[in-house]
Amino acid sequence: MNGFLRKLMIVMLLAMPLGVAADGVTFDRIALTLSDEDRILLDADIAFDLNDTVAEALENGVPLTFETHVQMRRVKAWVWESDVVEHRLRTVLQYRPLSGLYELRNLQGDERLSFATRDAALRTLGRIVGMPVVARAELDLDAEYLVRINVRLDIEALPLPMRPVAYIRRDWKIASDPWEWRLRP
Amino acid sequence: MNGRRFDMLAAGMLVVLLLAALHMISAAVQRSEDLGQWFMPLLLFSVVGLVLLFALVGWNLWQLLRDYRRRVAGSRLSARLSVMFLVLALLPVSVVYFYSIRFLSSGIDSWFDLQVDSAMEDALTLSKLSLDLHKRERLKLTENLLAAIEDTSQTAIALSIGEMRATAGASEMALFSVQGKLLAMSHDNPEVMLPMPPDSGMVQQVVGGADYVGVASGPDGRLVVRCLVLDRQERGIVLQALYPVPESLSDLSKNVQDAYETYRTRAYMRSQIKFTFALSLSLVLALGLFAAAWAAVFTARRLVQPISDIAEGTRAVAEGDYDKQLPMPRSEDEIGFLVSSFNAMTRRIARARNALEDSRRELLNQHNYLETVLAGLSTGVMALDGNGNIRTANPAADQIIGMPVGELEGQPLAILGERNAALLPFVERVDEGLRSAAHVGRAEITLYRGSGRQVLLCRHSALDDDDGDGVGGHVLVFDDVTELVKAQRDAAWGEVARRLAHEIKNPLTPIQLSAERLRHKYLGKLPVEDGKVLDRATHTIVQQVEAMKAMVNDFSDYAKPTRLQLEPVQIDALLNEVLALYEGGTQMLALQLDAPDLTIEADPVRLRQVMHNLIKNALEASGEHGCVVVSSRVGEEEDSGFVEIVVSDNGPGFDPELIGQAFEPYVTNKTKGTGLGLAIVKRIVAEHGGLVHAENADQGGGRVVLRLPALARARAGIAAAAAGRAHGGGGR
Repeated sequence: MNGFLRKLMIVMLLAMPLGVAADGVTFDRIALTLSDEDRILLDADIAFDLNDTVAEALENGVPLTFETHVQMRRVKAWVWESDVVEHRLRTVLQYRPLSGLYELRNLQGDERLSFATRDAALRTLGRIVGMPVVARAELDLDAEYLVRINVRLDIEALPLPMRPVAYIRRDWKIASDPWEWRLRP
Repeated sequence: MNGRRFDMLAAGMLVVLLLAALHMISAAVQRSEDLGQWFMPLLLFSVVGLVLLFALVGWNLWQLLRDYRRRVAGSRLSARLSVMFLVLALLPVSVVYFYSIRFLSSGIDSWFDLQVDSAMEDALTLSKLSLDLHKRERLKLTENLLAAIEDTSQTAIALSIGEMRATAGASEMALFSVQGKLLAMSHDNPEVMLPMPPDSGMVQQVVGGADYVGVASGPDGRLVVRCLVLDRQERGIVLQALYPVPESLSDLSKNVQDAYETYRTRAYMRSQIKFTFALSLSLVLALGLFAAAWAAVFTARRLVQPISDIAEGTRAVAEGDYDKQLPMPRSEDEIGFLVSSFNAMTRRIARARNALEDSRRELLNQHNYLETVLAGLSTGVMALDGNGNIRTANPAADQIIGMPVGELEGQPLAILGERNAALLPFVERVDEGLRSAAHVGRAEITLYRGSGRQVLLCRHSALDDDDGDGVGGHVLVFDDVTELVKAQRDAAWGEVARRLAHEIKNPLTPIQLSAERLRHKYLGKLPVEDGKVLDRATHTIVQQVEAMKAMVNDFSDYAKPTRLQLEPVQIDALLNEVLALYEGGTQMLALQLDAPDLTIEADPVRLRQVMHNLIKNALEASGEHGCVVVSSRVGEEEDSGFVEIVVSDNGPGFDPELIGQAFEPYVTNKTKGTGLGLAIVKRIVAEHGGLVHAENADQGGGRVVLRLPALARARAGIAAAAAGRAHGGGGR
């Protein structure tokens, strides 16, 4: 893909109606770019707005696991055809009473980051920079692909006694509407 | 597999699966780390399973209620037993559930009393204090390290940072610009190329003039002390140093933190924990209750089924279904014995019923056979009960009696007399016979009907009643022998006539000749007075002999077989011709002819004789100024044509007592004549294959109706053979 196309893609992405929010999760910015190594990268700024119930649980030491699900499949794929790309980024946000800090733990790489404030932790949680999605070479250049991204709070990762209530109560439905875009590499 | 067994198997499998699911839920609650992921699917499965079980129980209860309302056999007992079992199961389970929930709630509450709260807070505070000392030392050390650097250039500082880190015993040391840009770093692991980034809040705090020190978890999970110090020499740099907390202190602090977090999280989740346990317990309760309810209904039905079968069977037998056989219960208990006895009883009843049915069918066949025979009889048969009421009668009886006797079932015999007075002699005679002590009787009864005299030959037999010591009824058998009697009488008259003709006619001629000779020989020789006497006497003898001859000739005509000279005769022309001879008399003679083109085969001489006899009779009967009407018409009956000639007068009509015998010889109410006129008419008509009968007209006067076949079948031979039959038809 040449520079013109790359710019065009970004322009198109920015032109997409963002600010799509379901309950507590908003996509502020999403961009798919092509790296110098001919890989498609994902950049995103996702804003989290925790309601009082979830915030109270966090303050009381309940670990919250957020999952960012990135999917890519052919537009004309059969039902049984598997996705071209499927990434699940799982990150745990937890308050540490000893240090008084909010800790982010990346479950993929066991990376830990501490933050003095909840907002700082959530900002970092929502920032995705240069996440490799797929090598362009792996794609069929004639096909059209559908990229779908959604972010949600994983209720199944909550402590067991909280799950039935979390499934029932709307407060715990922290999730974005799926963001979709058609891509022709 | 029948429905009930399928129900049992399905419910059993469902209960087992639910038990397994609840057990796994319990395990998942206790070991949430391993089995926590199965909690919600198991919970969902349990709820769905319980809904299914509830539906199954509901279906069974609904069936029970429906049967109860419909009063199905055994449903009441089933309902009572089900309710009893259910109450027995419900009471202890409810008590256990109530107290379990209470114990559970108070047990969970007891985890979180104030003392434990305080202890946990104290432990955390203690950990913080011990770490604070360590933190202050490290902050001081970091500040000193940064102050000890005398180089002003950032590059020089960057070059010495590794040495500083090693000297201070830090695991990581990084130098940032106040804008947050990384200038240099050193890590005890050379592979780590990026420092643990401070968040913007920390940097802002440091830039604001207050150094930052805090505890964070390192990449390996161990606690580290993070120090962020601003350069006091205004070189625009910030130093971040990460010092590992001593292992013992780190472990202890981490343990305290983990315990505190766990405690605090549990305290926060107290209500959810209670809810989860209560939910699990409720699921178990629901499973227990539903299973008990289903088992109660199932067991009650199974227990009651044989009794229901017996009740159903009894009802079926009461309604006449004797083939009902009940399924034998598997258990050989008292109910099994009862069912077996019931089946044996119904088998015996069915056999008896079948035998009875065979007998009834045989009886019916016999009855039908008898009825067919009776219906085919020309003899009248009438059955009366012991009181003389009519029970049944065959068609011949209806015909002879002249009314539908069969429809008068249950009515007394006297009703026949009430409906037709002519039958009174019959009723009285029969009644007399029934009253007599004789079991069998015989009588000849003569009735005077509108159509003439009717002679019945009647026999009666008394029937024994059921006990055999009384009269249970009567059978009346009667024949209409009118025709037979008439035929016998006609034959007798024929014989008389023949003998008269033979025995009397022969001496008449010598008598006449002798008388004439006496007169001829002695009339002239005797004195005048004597001659007058002789003349008168011989004249009388000759005259009377002539009269006797005429009479004997009549007898001869009546008695001797005739040979008909058949030829085509146009009937209206013949009637015109005959009536022309009577014109000019004092009486009125009218002709109403309506058979102008009809020709029959007949002997015109004999036919004229018939008409003369009839017209003479009518004229004599109607008196001096009477009126006689002769009419003809063409008719058709049973596919054969005929001509009907009616001679009617306005005289007094026939004597009702004699009307049936009007065509017999010497039956007459006239003072003169031989009394053979109508008898000869009947004979000639019979020879022509026709019928004749006399009747009284409704408006008065007598009528003689003559019917002759239009087709040429009135042969003499046939007529002679049919004479007997024709006599009967003409007389009625």
